[in-house]
Amino acid sequence: MVITVSHLKKFYQTHQKEPGFLGSLTSLVHRKYQTVKAVDDISFDIKEGELVGFIGPNGAGKTTTLKCLSGLLYPTSGFVSVLGFTPFERKNAFLKQIALVMGQKNQLWWDLPAIETFLLNKEIYEIPDAQYQKTLDELVELLDVRALLKVQVRKLSLGERMKMELIAALIHAPKVLFLDEPTIGLDVVMQKKMRDFIASYNQLHKSTILLTSHYMEDVRQLAHRVIIIDHGKILYDGKLDNLVKKFAKYKVLSVVLDTYVTPDKFKEIGELTDYNFPKVIIRVPRSASNVAAAQLLEKFPVDDLNIEEPDIEDIIRDVFSSNLK
Amino acid sequence: MKKYLQIIKDTWAEYMMYRLNFVLWRVRMVMQILVVYFLWWAIFSQKQEFFGYTQSMILTYILLSSIVRTLVLGTTTMDIGDVINKGDLSNFLLRPFHFFHYYIARDIGDKLLNFTFAVVEITVLYFFLRPPIFIQTNIVTLLFFLAAIIIGTILYFFFSLIFGFLGFWTPDVWAPRFLSFVIMEFFAGALFPLDILPKPIFFISQLLPFSYFLYFPLKVYLRQLPIEMLLQGFAISIAWIIGLMVCAQVLWQKGLKVYTAEGR
Repeated sequence: MVITVSHLKKFYQTHQKEPGFLGSLTSLVHRKYQTVKAVDDISFDIKEGELVGFIGPNGAGKTTTLKCLSGLLYPTSGFVSVLGFTPFERKNAFLKQIALVMGQKNQLWWDLPAIETFLLNKEIYEIPDAQYQKTLDELVELLDVRALLKVQVRKLSLGERMKMELIAALIHAPKVLFLDEPTIGLDVVMQKKMRDFIASYNQLHKSTILLTSHYMEDVRQLAHRVIIIDHGKILYDGKLDNLVKKFAKYKVLSVVLDTYVTPDKFKEIGELTDYNFPKVIIRVPRSASNVAAAQLLEKFPVDDLNIEEPDIEDIIRDVFSSNLK
Repeated sequence: MKKYLQIIKDTWAEYMMYRLNFVLWRVRMVMQILVVYFLWWAIFSQKQEFFGYTQSMILTYILLSSIVRTLVLGTTTMDIGDVINKGDLSNFLLRPFHFFHYYIARDIGDKLLNFTFAVVEITVLYFFLRPPIFIQTNIVTLLFFLAAIIIGTILYFFFSLIFGFLGFWTPDVWAPRFLSFVIMEFFAGALFPLDILPKPIFFISQLLPFSYFLYFPLKVYLRQLPIEMLLQGFAISIAWIIGLMVCAQVLWQKGLKVYTAEGR
């Protein structure tokens, strides 16, 4: 196992402060503390070369988990092991084999061209010249940024900067890569490029990648395995396909009609979610989908009918909202 | 070793990106010297001696202090509080390079650059003002002077680190730092030699770490300290270094445990 997490907990103490100067004074004397359970007893294992997607709403604990795994945060309790190291000790041998890329953080020197940061990282990670040149060439080719290497970082666009951040983080060819929202704020074209890059990097280097994202597309296209987390707890850990079977309690019947039928007629079949003549979308319980389809064909002027799995995004939304209750 | 050189190079490159900013900073330093210089010039136009100092001793003290301060007080560690609060500290923690070492390298770059400029400025000022300055030629004294500067530099580095580490516990890092500047400028002896102060205040100033930033090295240079005062000075300043070093280490270790790696 490359990564082992067992009963990891990370709680924060935060204090609330009334606004204004008076609030500051009272908070000096009397503070109300609140415990935030960012990560609450999670366990999972990740094998070498796996690409795992970590999904959950804002504040679910995804980033906190990544920070615990990369040694930034001191866990409140539980056991974490990455490549056989305890991350928080931050041994050099450990740090040389991992990288954490955060979509909203930059390690590049803002006022200097990106190549300066790459050179600095080369020295810090003690990368031999030949290896550095090879890795750099490869990354620059993959991301198509040769012309931008000598441009001051502050003058780059967000997408260009994100690519440079990736190069800076990957120049030491890490075995384990933590990607926190790598596509945040990028346009759809850039998002796709970034996804393709991550996929090919994973295949090329057999590196283990743990990725968080808000965008379902990222996870759908990249990860075979997903871990769904909310309120600091794991709700699901497994294949994306199985998630559908486990959580989707309904199927979707997508129908094309020959002649108009009043909407309330569909009530006996199932839940009408969309009606835009001639197209009708109906949700039916999973077990009853065949019966419902037969009923439709028999009683309605159906031109075409499809039984479909619901959208993953819808399922996950259902999982999260049922978790709230 | 090469990583340190690369950081020094990058620090210089960064300054050169903002030439105007750097030039204005140097202009400010020159103005500061001139103000203090002419103040003392005016005082000595009335009398030959003042608190046991001759004109040449005081003017040497003032001019030399502006060079020594680039070595001792020039630092890039000011931004550590913000680095912690903005979560940028994560970038340092993720790389196999000690945070302290990074700032030591950066400081060396900063100090060398400012030192070079200060020497040039003082040389130019010297040719314009032609002050009667005192040149120390005794090699042993100069070695002690160098030792005192190095001690002062290390002392101030840890002093500044500790203020930066407050950022682990509070976002208000500038208020205490600003207060420390005011106290420090006074007790470091940047404006005048501390021994012209009333005896009790002078006594306290020698127990504080500040006087070892500027006053002590300069007095060593002027060779105005009897041997027992010299030894006492080195003993107290080294004790402070050990104290502040331990304190900085402890705060660093404790701080990392409460560090939340906040995002922007």
